[in-house]
Amino acid sequence: MKISFSTALRIFVISGFLALIGNYVGFKVSPLEALPGMLILLVLIIAGEVLTRVSPLKLPSIAYVSLLAIIASVPGVPGAEAVIRYADKVQFLALCTPILAYAGISIGKDLNSFKEQGLKMVVVTLLTFIGTFVGSAAIAQLILKLTGVI
Amino acid sequence: MRGKSELKVHLLALAMVIISEYIGIKSFKVGPGTVMLLPMLYALVIGMFLPALRLVDRTDMETASPFIGFSVMYLTAKMGTTIGPSLPKILSAGPALILQEFGNLGTIFFSLPIAVLVFKMGREAVGICFSISREGSLAIVSDLYGLDSPEGRGVMGAYIVGTLFGAIFNGLMVGFLISLGIFHPFALAMACGTGSASMMAASLGPVVAAYPTIQTELSAFAATSQLLTSVDGLYMSLFIAVPITEWLYRKLKGKEAERETPKEGVNQ
Repeated sequence: MKISFSTALRIFVISGFLALIGNYVGFKVSPLEALPGMLILLVLIIAGEVLTRVSPLKLPSIAYVSLLAIIASVPGVPGAEAVIRYADKVQFLALCTPILAYAGISIGKDLNSFKEQGLKMVVVTLLTFIGTFVGSAAIAQLILKLTGVI
Repeated sequence: MRGKSELKVHLLALAMVIISEYIGIKSFKVGPGTVMLLPMLYALVIGMFLPALRLVDRTDMETASPFIGFSVMYLTAKMGTTIGPSLPKILSAGPALILQEFGNLGTIFFSLPIAVLVFKMGREAVGICFSISREGSLAIVSDLYGLDSPEGRGVMGAYIVGTLFGAIFNGLMVGFLISLGIFHPFALAMACGTGSASMMAASLGPVVAAYPTIQTELSAFAATSQLLTSVDGLYMSLFIAVPITEWLYRKLKGKEAERETPKEGVNQ
């Protein structure tokens, strides 16, 4: 589904507004205080989306948005300090809640498959935690041995 | 009718955000770890009850689904602004710690075969097995497949499990691994940095308790590994972990995989 630029902009502004309200209710940061940070994030998002569409390198927009945000906040880059200071007013967790609110609304149609797969999902998730930790520890052990640290 | 449905979805989402944030974060200790209930989890649960309350119909659910991808971008941008400031520190971390990051990929070869061959799972397994399913993984799956796809259901299920039981489970697991005595405490400490703050705290706890005399080194190893994972996690997942998971999934499923059609690039 191709979404027009004006529609995209509208949805970005509305979901940003939800986060701003959540940021106020949950973290007591006044919307006025958090607004510059939200606007900075919005500008980074729009720039990332534009880059996704025009760049010859076909990458998901998440890669471009994140790359731009990293560059904009590396110490020494002009304006980086302001970006960090204002973005700090917007809580990470406040940005997560709108995502799962929309996901919650759209998820109703998938409830049955959640029910069917629930237990398997729990077990496989825990296996993934084991695999991540043990895999990490094994490689760490190997590298520490090879480099003579242990 | 599209506009009316959109307005309704936004207003419902707003109400859900306000209620969820008003309840706020609740955490309580259970055994070796802490169970943390986050507002985003309440929002998801409220959403699950909306159809039963006849507050949303199928049209509304479909209207809401692309909005997930839009709101995810704020999270992506915010995560980026927290990475930039720590970039200089990363570059000085040294090759050993950077190489160690590849250990996080090991899980794909462990959990995915079990999910597909033993539990006969479908593409949900792809969403679960490529990472420990924290917020960044939600963003990646949302951008690549959409959260209302099988992969999206997988990552959301895993996200919920991790949020509720991740810390406790990691604490127990690490305690067990220490008792086996196969890993050096430094290796264990480095493995604690998997990208989630609560999981790191819970898994480092038992290591520090078992080796109190070297706790400063242990914390430093864990913190650096944690920092590295939070910086490279998104790109490692996007460019290495997800492609490997896709490849292995197709290998494991054989001919059956060709009949399934992944919804790749829905938000492009």
